[in-house]
Amino acid sequence: MKTYGTKLKKLTSAIYPIAFGVLIFIMWQTQLLHKLLNTDVYILPLPSRIAEIISDNSSKIMENVISTVEVAIPGLILGSVLGYLIAIIAALFKTYGSGGLTVISAFNAVPIVALAPVITNWTKDVSPEASVRSFAAKVIVVTIMCTASMSVNAYRGLTELKPFSEDLMKSYACGKGKTLLKLRLPNSVPYIFTALRVSVPSSVISTLVAEYFAEYITGVGRQIRENILTAQYATAWAYIVVACLIGIIMYILLILAESIFLKNRRQVLSIK
Amino acid sequence: MSEMLKNNDVEIMLKDIGMVYQADGKDVTALTNVSIDIHKGEFISLLGPSGCGKTTLLRIIADLLHPTSGEILVGGSTPKEARLKQRYGIVFQSAVLYDWRTVKKNVMLPLEIMHVKKEERVKRAMKMLELVGLTDFADSYPRQLSGGMQQRVGIARALAIKPEILLMDEPFSALDEFTREKLHEDLLRIWRKTNKTIVFVTHNIQESVFLSDRICVLSPHPGRLSAVIDVDLPRPRTAELKNTREFTELVAKVRNSFEGV
Repeated sequence: MKTYGTKLKKLTSAIYPIAFGVLIFIMWQTQLLHKLLNTDVYILPLPSRIAEIISDNSSKIMENVISTVEVAIPGLILGSVLGYLIAIIAALFKTYGSGGLTVISAFNAVPIVALAPVITNWTKDVSPEASVRSFAAKVIVVTIMCTASMSVNAYRGLTELKPFSEDLMKSYACGKGKTLLKLRLPNSVPYIFTALRVSVPSSVISTLVAEYFAEYITGVGRQIRENILTAQYATAWAYIVVACLIGIIMYILLILAESIFLKNRRQVLSIK
Repeated sequence: MSEMLKNNDVEIMLKDIGMVYQADGKDVTALTNVSIDIHKGEFISLLGPSGCGKTTLLRIIADLLHPTSGEILVGGSTPKEARLKQRYGIVFQSAVLYDWRTVKKNVMLPLEIMHVKKEERVKRAMKMLELVGLTDFADSYPRQLSGGMQQRVGIARALAIKPEILLMDEPFSALDEFTREKLHEDLLRIWRKTNKTIVFVTHNIQESVFLSDRICVLSPHPGRLSAVIDVDLPRPRTAELKNTREFTELVAKVRNSFEGV
């Protein structure tokens, strides 16, 4: 009866959050939520109104979505690759490696809000085109935000090996390179996904924030800001909903990729 | 020792091996004055309680540790040369299978490292799996196997590189009694078929008597060789041997040879 029990558990763990979401949605649409929060439909527009705006402005919204994704994904890839390379170097030169990683983690603790204007200032001579300058600045911010989580997790994946596995490689007369290729790299794969579970959502969030401070006005995050400044709350809310959707879709794609790549492996790390 | 072995060459020569560790600024003697000649094709056990240095001694032979004194020759060369020539197959306390590889690919791992051609790799891996009776599980993943099956894959992998010497470090200590007995018989069958020199580390007296030609009894504090006991029980051996008087007497003899335990 164990399988029945786990199935039931899976089902209830899906039902509760969905039921909660539906409840909030109903309260929102019936304006019960507004009474509770002591606000009005101008500040917090009704879901039906938000949906209306999204469908009326779909082409403009899509333009901004593409602009945001065009920053988030390159930043995510650059940051992850950079983080992984740092982890490899740290794993090969362990004496300095773990210390170096501590410095990188410390760098990661600098808030994006502080980082973004500084980097916008750095990139002001990159190109005469404002759009290119802004793009560079935003990608750099996202890259920095994604580097640390990858380097710290990948380092664990490259160094936390099964007992005796290094001895085994040594007995085959493997040097550092072969051990890296045959043991450390494959061992680190689940840890890459642990890192991505953090950095995929964080790439979207840091893109939105970086857009706030960018010179060139584009992107979902920037539209949220512009519409709030001009008191277009319903439109701002439309972009907030779209921003959530970007994050959720990217996360779903990640989970799908994970289920393919880790299909045959013990689930080393639980969802946290 | 049986007549056949007496005439054989010495495969591993250990002379006055000593091992001193540094722990909290103090010298700890793990091994002192261990001298053993291990013959080609011999099944020898290193038997003793924990702390007697038996695993240390095996790791010294495997060139995973370097003794602080004494001399060691493996087939006339240093352990390092022997390791680089891949003359050792090692089976550890756990199977150390890579969970991202299938059973077959785990056995193929050392062959990949040695750049054996793909066709030959598959052929040899399948042959080794047949030897340990796991042909049907070639495409399974390690997590789908029981502990005993995993350790058999470990043995198949160790044998895949055709080593002359098989070093086994308490390979069956984590298994239940029934699985262990089965693997004892399997190991003896494989040994008879392949003619390897086997150095087998264990803390189990019955196990060492059942398997070995000779037992090196190591005593702790400091780790030293306190007796070498010949096991002249007939081969091939089966589990029924354990019910005989000769077997029980040998077990008693081995037990009585420990010092300071």
